[in-house]
Amino acid sequence: MASTSSAATLPTRVGAEDAPRRRGALVRYWPQYVAIAPFYVLFLVFGLFPVAYSFYLSFTEWDGASDITFVGLAQYQYLLGDARFWNAVGNTLIIWVGSTVPMLFFALLIAFLLHQNIRFKGAYRIAFFLPNVTSMVAMAIVFGSVFSDSFGLANGLLRGIGLPEVGWLTEGWSIKLTLIIMVIWRWTGYNAIIYLAGLQAIPTELYDAAKVDGASTWRQFVSITVPMLRPVILFTVITSTIGGLSLFTEPQVLLANAGGNENSGGPGEAGMTIVLYQYNQAFTQFDFGYASAIAWALFVLASVFAIINWRLVRDREGLVERRRRRGGEAR
Amino acid sequence: MHPLSRRRLLGLGAAAGAAAATAGLSACTGRTSLSTDPDELVLWLWNRSASPQLLAEAAENIPGTTKRLRADYIGTTFDTKLRTSLAAQSYIPDLTYINSNNALYFPSEDQFLDLGELGASAHEQDFYPWKWSLCRTPTGVLRFYPLDIGPTGFFYRRDIFADAGLPSEPEEVSAAIRTWDEWLELGAKLRRDADVALVQTTTVLFNMFINASAERYFDAQDRPLFDRPGSAVRQAWDLAVRGLETGVVANAASTTDQNAAWVSGSTAGHIEGAWWTQVVKETAPDTAGQWRIAVQPGPPGNSGGSFVALSRTCKDPEAAFALIEWMQSPENQVRSYNDVQLFPSTPASFETGEMDPQSDFFGGQDPLEFFSTAAETVPTTFISTHESKVGAFRTELALVANGAKESEAGWEAAVAEVNRVLEKRGVI
Repeated sequence: MASTSSAATLPTRVGAEDAPRRRGALVRYWPQYVAIAPFYVLFLVFGLFPVAYSFYLSFTEWDGASDITFVGLAQYQYLLGDARFWNAVGNTLIIWVGSTVPMLFFALLIAFLLHQNIRFKGAYRIAFFLPNVTSMVAMAIVFGSVFSDSFGLANGLLRGIGLPEVGWLTEGWSIKLTLIIMVIWRWTGYNAIIYLAGLQAIPTELYDAAKVDGASTWRQFVSITVPMLRPVILFTVITSTIGGLSLFTEPQVLLANAGGNENSGGPGEAGMTIVLYQYNQAFTQFDFGYASAIAWALFVLASVFAIINWRLVRDREGLVERRRRRGGEAR
Repeated sequence: MHPLSRRRLLGLGAAAGAAAATAGLSACTGRTSLSTDPDELVLWLWNRSASPQLLAEAAENIPGTTKRLRADYIGTTFDTKLRTSLAAQSYIPDLTYINSNNALYFPSEDQFLDLGELGASAHEQDFYPWKWSLCRTPTGVLRFYPLDIGPTGFFYRRDIFADAGLPSEPEEVSAAIRTWDEWLELGAKLRRDADVALVQTTTVLFNMFINASAERYFDAQDRPLFDRPGSAVRQAWDLAVRGLETGVVANAASTTDQNAAWVSGSTAGHIEGAWWTQVVKETAPDTAGQWRIAVQPGPPGNSGGSFVALSRTCKDPEAAFALIEWMQSPENQVRSYNDVQLFPSTPASFETGEMDPQSDFFGGQDPLEFFSTAAETVPTTFISTHESKVGAFRTELALVANGAKESEAGWEAAVAEVNRVLEKRGVI
């Protein structure tokens, strides 16, 4: 009780003693500053410092134990001509596009279905979200068993219906396909739940009006659900971009030692992603300078996609604005 | 009742936060040792790398000293954690186990103590000479001390060999596969008559050939040997490719496929170190009694095995070395073997007669006798710190194995890539 009453008096006192002395404010509000300090201290230590340090390291050669030697732009120069790095960039983009498009489509579809008046809604929601909270190590074992070449379920199924077998974990494109399936399986439910939240914010009057006008379910989906969900869809596109470009866990656990080397993304490095390559260089090759350069290259790449995303959002808003204006003129 | 005002609450929170920050900062001011207790030595190790009984005894008192041992199980990414504490020069263990990749630490060898100065040389005669030689850094200083070893042999399924009309008893098989040509011929017959493979991947053949070779990727001055005509690496490559062509290799890339192949008998063998006896028992328990071990073509090699080292900051090197001497004595290596199946690096251990050979799984054949004999003829070799940079050979070999590349193109790409990496890292 006492704390609520004093909380209520706090704002009035701020207004009453209207003395804009900054140092005085710092003295008066030090408990508040201290209260928010832990986050900033942790951020400085575990966020900002490593970022700054990796920038410094990217201009050096360091094996993590010996002395650090400055090499200028040599790491970046090597990076530009490193076929393994560009292979990793290509793999990452293929897996990202290949997984994001179907994943968001399925997520939207699932959310739309879950939003209908069906029974056992809660059970379905939990079921779709479960893959997201499953331990990755357990998942890797299950996926390894399903997609292994000679004794896997997937190839057993293909054999059963008379189709040729696929080297799910041994051949270039199949490895990417397996990783895409893994990403879709893991993240579709997560995105579906976000879409579902967005759906529930759409006023039911719109649907009622559409029904009165005789719109079909498909028409409702295309003309009401999708446009009203645009901000949510953009949000999931952006988070999927971040997740897709920094894809690491799936190839790391699924292809741990496949291809004869640790953390190399399987035969021919077909499942090597940018972050896995960075991890490989830092923690199996102990080439921290080069790993830092890879990290900054990823930063540049991610920035490019962030700008594209941002422009898409801005143009979309501009488009709506222009349309509205044009509509006004016509009227 | 004393009401808790908001200001008071914030004040308390601030005080607690400040206290925590002070504690955190003071901890950061660089404590070199992990333990402040002057009588406690800290050892870093991983699961099943030491006998829990011996560790428990040393935790009471390290024999012959007044010190006690604290054993910290570090778990995964061991090297990363050890290197982190070495790089930061703080929270460094007094002793640390290091896996078969001890060459990784050659460039920073001054982080570890010279064991010769502590009297380690007196024990040289106790150990297999090739293992002792791996304990020396390229500068000739003894900075590592032997733990276990992994002499290799050719594991095979007696029943499958017998059904295919091949020699099946260990002596017969050993006599029939004295050269790799004979081994490939036997494997080709097995593929033709029973459609069974001898090993899982080309990588196994490639690695095991090099593990049994006196010459490896680099010479003792870290100069590359692999690109010379007729190098051991090239021979290993050719053997792996021939294994592929003759159908001796199953091409089972994933662990799941490999385990299933051993359980079902579609792969009837493996070449690996002595520790694989435990692995196969756990992987394919239903095949008990059917496995045998024969001498692989050429000399046996070594796969795996580990070392122990004393950090430069070790608080009591004499006591730490006393611990190592005690734990790695032939008698205590027997206990380590009986507890956690670490294969002894001291020939005298096998003469105690106190080791349980667990020969049931091998139909009465004594794996201890087999591998202790094999360990006698493992060639002495030099493992360069740069061997971590030659992964391209295995990458390209895997591409040849799944048909994406021709052998010669793969070899050339591998040499070019390894040279590129070596050039980048300033080795050549």
